[in-house]
Parts: sequence; structure tokens; C-alpha cells
Amino acid sequence: MVMIKSKIRVVCDAGPIIHLDELDCLGLLTDFQEILISDTIWKEIKRYRPLDLKRSDLSFTLSPVKYPISEILLTICRIFSLDAGETEALAIMENNPNTVFLTDDASARLVAKQMGFKVHGTIGILVRSIRRGQMKPEEVISIIKKIPIKSTLHIKPSLIEEVIFRIKKEFKI
Amino acid sequence: MKTIQTEVPEQLYQKAVALVKEGWFRDEKDIFSEAIRRFLDTHQPELMEKFIRDDVDWGLHGHD
Repeated sequence: MVMIKSKIRVVCDAGPIIHLDELDCLGLLTDFQEILISDTIWKEIKRYRPLDLKRSDLSFTLSPVKYPISEILLTICRIFSLDAGETEALAIMENNPNTVFLTDDASARLVAKQMGFKVHGTIGILVRSIRRGQMKPEEVISIIKKIPIKSTLHIKPSLIEEVIFRIKKEFKI
Repeated sequence: MKTIQTEVPEQLYQKAVALVKEGWFRDEKDIFSEAIRRFLDTHQPELMEKFIRDDVDWGLHGHD
């Protein structure tokens, strides 16, 4: 089956890129039309996972514009202790309202939600891959089980079990 | 106060040392306490659970 690439453009924080790579699932991002990355996050990934940015199948784009960060956004980000990369990502979101923000940071996600943005994380991308025909439910379950040992994404065991239960229930496994 | 022993990446430790040397903090202990406090303030378990559940909903039933 040939999948048609989703039309979604995403703004990506470092977390999902790192976590998906740790789980050998970075390829799932190929489904997105464009993966916009802020300058600080680009540097962070280049420093710690340089090979990720060199993958030709992924449409990583260093944000062509360094968007000005409004005083309000800067203050909110400070209150929520967001780092420079997350703050820049939210500035990109402000200027690209039809994009989806991908982050695994709870506070960045909270701020993004309050600003009215669509926001999802690594678990969402993994589960979505079933709906998008990128992976089978059994494969996704197997990967989710490996999260505690293979990745630095921190999720409590009972919640991992709950996610697996929901996938099994949905697909009658 | 509780005393804990842990390992941190060298790069992180060196950044903490630099901040102390520049006079921003009294010592490395202050930095790590502040970092943990901020992290715990912004990472409420109920919220993190909600986000994961939202992700599963999106993953299973989203339209994009």
C-alpha cells in the first residue's frame, strides 16, 4: 500500500526527535510535509544527534526566519521555565498557526495548549502511525513496551500498560 | 534537608560550575536544588497523564 504523505507541517521540539530516534522510529516523521525546527533546537540536535538531521527522507527545515519573541510570550515562557528552544518553537507556532507542535515537555505542551495550538508528543506519533498505515498495532505495542529501557522518555509503567490496553482494545488484539 | 548522591553528564556539571564561578549561585548544590524545584513545579503527574491520554486519542481517532 502506498501512503500519501500527510499535509501536516509540524514544529518540532528536540524531545520527540530524540525519543523517536532512541526507539528507531524517527522514520515516522516522514509522514509530515515539513518539520520546522528552531535555531536553538537545530543546534541541540546537531550537537547530540547529528546524523538525524542528515537523513534525506525527513523534511527537516531550519526555520528560515528567526521570529521575534513577543514580551507576553517571553514572560509566559519564563513563568513556565521553558528553555530557549521551546520558546523559539512557540514563536514559530505563533507565526505559523496551521502547524502542529510536537513536544514531550509537559510545561511546553501546557503553554502551547493555552495558546490554542495543536500539540502532540512521541506517544501520539507512535499510535498515529497505526492509523496512517506506517506500522501495525503489534509493532507499536512492542515499541511502546521498550520505552523504559530504550528511551529517555519518562512514562510511569501503569500508563504504558494503559496505552497498550487501549491499542489492543481498539484493534481487538 | 536530604542528601542525595547522583551522576550528571560532564557537560551539565561543567555548566553548573561555570555559573558558580561567575557568581550566579553560591554553589553547585544550589543550582541542582533550583533545577529540581522548577522541574517538579512544571511537571505535575495529573497533567502528564492527561497529555499521554490525549495523544492516544489523537493517534487512534484523529483526522490528520
